[in-house]
Amino acid sequence: MKPRDIQLLQEAALAEARQAATIEALEAVRVRYLGRRGLLPEVMQGLKDLPPTERPEAGRYANDLKEALTALIQERKQVLANRTVAGQTGFDVSRPGAWRGYGRRHPISRIIEEVTDIFFRMGFTVADGPDIETEYHNFDALNTPADHPSRDIQDTFWLEDGSLLRTQTSPVQIRVMESRRPPIRIIAPGRCYRRDTVDATHSANFHQIEGLYVDRAVSLAQLKGDLTYFARHLMGPDVRVRFRPHYFPFTEPSLEYDFSCHVCGGKGCRVCKQSGWIEISGAGMVNPKVLRQVGYDPETVTGYAFGMGVERIAMIKFGIEDIRLLYDNDIRFLEQFGA
Amino acid sequence: MKVPLSWLKEYVDVPVSAAELADRLTFSGLEVEGIAHVGVDYTGVVVAEVLAVERHPQADRLVVCRVHNGREERRVVCGATNFGPGDRVPLAEPGAILANGMKIKSAVIRGERSDGMLCAEDELGLGDRHDGILVLPRDVQPGTPFADIAGPQETVLEIEVTPNRPDCLSMIGVAREVAALLGGSLRWPEIPLEERGGPIGEKTRVDVEDPEGCPRYTARLLEGATVGPAPRWMRQRLTWAGVRPINNIVDVTNYVMLECGQPLHAFDLDCLAERRIVVRRARAAERLMTLDGREHKLAPEMLVISDAAHPVAVAGIMGGESSGITESTQNVLLESACFSASDIRRTAKRMGLSSESSYRFERGVDIGGIEWASRRAASLMAACSGGILARGVIDVFRKPPVPRRVRMRFARARQLLGVELPNEEMTAIFERLQLPVVERDNEQCVVQAPTFRVDLEQEADLIEEVARVHGLDAVPAADPQARLVTDADDTVIRRRQVCRERLRGLGLTEIVNYSFISDRLADLISVGPAEKRVRLPNPLTADHALLRDSLIPQVVETLGRNRARQADRAALFEMGRAFFLNEEGRPTEEERLCVGLMGPIGSSDPIRRAAPSPVEMFLWIKGLLAAVTDALGIGVPGAWPYKADGLRLEPADDLFFEPGFGARVWLGDKPCGRLGLVAGRVREEWRLADPVSVMELLTDMVSQRVFDIPVGRTPSVYPAVDRDVAMVVNQTVTHEAVLRVIQRAAPPELADVRLFDVFEHERLGPGRKSMAYSMTYRSREKTLTDEAVNRLHEAIKKVLRDELAAEIRES
Repeated sequence: MKPRDIQLLQEAALAEARQAATIEALEAVRVRYLGRRGLLPEVMQGLKDLPPTERPEAGRYANDLKEALTALIQERKQVLANRTVAGQTGFDVSRPGAWRGYGRRHPISRIIEEVTDIFFRMGFTVADGPDIETEYHNFDALNTPADHPSRDIQDTFWLEDGSLLRTQTSPVQIRVMESRRPPIRIIAPGRCYRRDTVDATHSANFHQIEGLYVDRAVSLAQLKGDLTYFARHLMGPDVRVRFRPHYFPFTEPSLEYDFSCHVCGGKGCRVCKQSGWIEISGAGMVNPKVLRQVGYDPETVTGYAFGMGVERIAMIKFGIEDIRLLYDNDIRFLEQFGA
Repeated sequence: MKVPLSWLKEYVDVPVSAAELADRLTFSGLEVEGIAHVGVDYTGVVVAEVLAVERHPQADRLVVCRVHNGREERRVVCGATNFGPGDRVPLAEPGAILANGMKIKSAVIRGERSDGMLCAEDELGLGDRHDGILVLPRDVQPGTPFADIAGPQETVLEIEVTPNRPDCLSMIGVAREVAALLGGSLRWPEIPLEERGGPIGEKTRVDVEDPEGCPRYTARLLEGATVGPAPRWMRQRLTWAGVRPINNIVDVTNYVMLECGQPLHAFDLDCLAERRIVVRRARAAERLMTLDGREHKLAPEMLVISDAAHPVAVAGIMGGESSGITESTQNVLLESACFSASDIRRTAKRMGLSSESSYRFERGVDIGGIEWASRRAASLMAACSGGILARGVIDVFRKPPVPRRVRMRFARARQLLGVELPNEEMTAIFERLQLPVVERDNEQCVVQAPTFRVDLEQEADLIEEVARVHGLDAVPAADPQARLVTDADDTVIRRRQVCRERLRGLGLTEIVNYSFISDRLADLISVGPAEKRVRLPNPLTADHALLRDSLIPQVVETLGRNRARQADRAALFEMGRAFFLNEEGRPTEEERLCVGLMGPIGSSDPIRRAAPSPVEMFLWIKGLLAAVTDALGIGVPGAWPYKADGLRLEPADDLFFEPGFGARVWLGDKPCGRLGLVAGRVREEWRLADPVSVMELLTDMVSQRVFDIPVGRTPSVYPAVDRDVAMVVNQTVTHEAVLRVIQRAAPPELADVRLFDVFEHERLGPGRKSMAYSMTYRSREKTLTDEAVNRLHEAIKKVLRDELAAEIRES
């Protein structure tokens, strides 16, 4: 047999050994090749008939065949034996394992974490402030004086000592600016409170995330760029951001921003109520009155601020139909949101 | 603000569709929240001639009419009697659907067949009058479709006007925006004013005692008026705009208010003592019955309109009943004035009273437009009521305001917006908005704020005008930037986040509850002292009466709720704030984390169904405490080496814990939480039959070491030797006490001490128990010989005997 034919014979032998599904079949392969009257002894016999130049090479191949096949048969024998044992003991590997699973992340936390993570990448740090706020931080310092109708937008829970439950996370802006000099680049998630009657879209307490960037020469175009980056990482790579003018006492100009619908891509669907856009929240350029209030000079620094409602984003992103589900804590509901 | 399109078009051309107009307005800051198509589909309603009206044989209040609809005669039962044979009336035939949704069918009413219905104004969506059938002019042909005489249907824009734009709380204000956006011009209505009466100064007088509260007050007089319904077109427009028609005089005040934004009030002159007006603060103990029929006690800081003797109106908010316009009114004093916005707001809030008028005054009215509104209303009143206007106007306007001039630097606008906008384009925007540019050069311009734009005060306000008219959506998105702020520190907040992740890693599912709880729940699971609770003075519901002083009550409640929904096990955690009164009695807050376990959740057997025993359940929550504190790097309670400033537990006697199964957790000498089994009495509330455990910890205390830097010591290379000790001690001896004693005598070679068995048995004697420990000895310097280990171990046994009276059980 030519050296090349011996190599082919090896391939065939190994393939047969691999395919043998029982110990018996494997033994048959062994006998066929390695047995006393098997193919390998025959090859060995034939070596002497080869030309002397081919003989050493053919001898080497024949030895290779013997070693490789012997080793493979040995290994396959053990595997097949194991399989037999497993079959006999009847252990059910599909039984439930015994290790505690990972806990689930609440959708509100999940959104807060996703949002803050995106802003971390842009160099924002987290800030927070108290739920029980002063009237000054929640309203006055934010250019929302008493006896001004802009307070009507937010029906407030007042406490007996004249403090209040913050109606927005914006007072964190004031607290941070009071404590530090520019540049300021913060993202502030937190719980807020309004005297809203609870229904499918309103909750007497809810969560907001506030963003603030104050530095030299911050512009509205930057706000748009940064929010677009944010939108794409939160909702999907093709999402666009749209601005609509609005009014907030603490920003000027003020606007509301919308994301193009992540479900239909802007063509119109049930999620975006056929408009192609989803209202997210408010933003704007920090009102110079607010900067002056905290002792900053609006001639040297400008800033942008934005907010968003966590529950609203969770509802949009996860298709949750009723805000009350987020506070009902049914474990069947929570289990859907992954670790 | 409801804007009927046909009304708007009286002041400005609208060459685009309603949808496009809505879009343009929305994207320039007047958000159109909806477009309503009112009026009404009049299919099935025709004009009919009344042939005969007869009494209903079975019902006194009904009549049976024979009417002709141009094709045939029909019999209709009707409840009104304000018409007779020959009159033309609207007939809704079977199959018609009316404005209020009513479907007309043939019916038998008290035994009489009725094939249709004669309609009143409100049923046709034309107003809200229901005092009789709408009687039409006799020259209308029977059979004419009612749609032909009702006029076209109306499109009404519902606009959300932000608090800074009170000028847009009027048709003309919206029209001014539309003109600026679409490039049209504003048409002011013409005012034909015939003043045929005597000079007003001879007939009445106005004294403004408080010019701060009332910077301008004008009055006109209408004499010999006949009060009755306003013309239909006016009532129609009011109805479309959401205002209920009342009578011609009152309707004109409302109409002109909606037209130009200036609230007006009409007094019955003959009901004013001495027929004159005084604007002043209320006096102590004065009272006033307002038009809505409520009696108010007035406070001295409230601004009132008074006659010579008594208040007759709360200035800018609501008129008094005694001087209101009635059917017998003949002489009318028309007020058009301006009141201090903050005065109005304070008073309105205090009285719990608000009106279309106060809504506008609170936001600011156009002090320059007051006289125009007075003239416009006077002219319409005279036309609608047949009255005669006195000559002239009383106008108390002591200190006309100095016009505000606001500067804007073009470069600043470009920088702030990030938009390359030429100077000319910016000034053109101001001109389109009717904001006069009174100065300009290459760097900047100065705009004189018109009196109707109370919101324009500073440069940023003008930049906003540029932005919103140019189009905020046209602002380009700059490349997003990363920017580091090196001195910002958010360590504490990030520690809490690590906590959250560790708890999830331990298999706990996160829940979120409201910050509010009910008194009932707080009393049932009373964690903090009741006198330290923070109570809401004005809760929305009893369920939300308190701010939670602990997360435990709602965690237990959540377990109960899930149990009621057939969940047999749960391992939950919540992180959030608890609220209480501090030493000074001020409300304060604290970050907490809380865990609740229910069912065989701590078992390593995933298919176990048997409920846990109390001891098991306690050990699970205790084990969880150890896992949490271990994961957070503050050590494990009851672990070796014992540290005096480490974690330890002490029995707690809180009533919501099962007796004997509650514990306070201490970190050194500071309390940092509690854990235990929930008392059966509490579990009953949710029918939780089996043991439930909870744990609450102070988040910032337990997470304080999360970012500590660990030290990597090389482990000893020498072998360890284990020695056990079993002893009988008094039941009062705790595991922690044993560790404390061993610690005092421990050689450096004592590497670990583990409790591996505890049992009680009668043969041990009453009040005694057996504890078995395994000790591991290992040196960092050498291999310990048996003798060396024995020596060390004997020393430990000795302190146990000496200090705990332990009987060591030698094996």
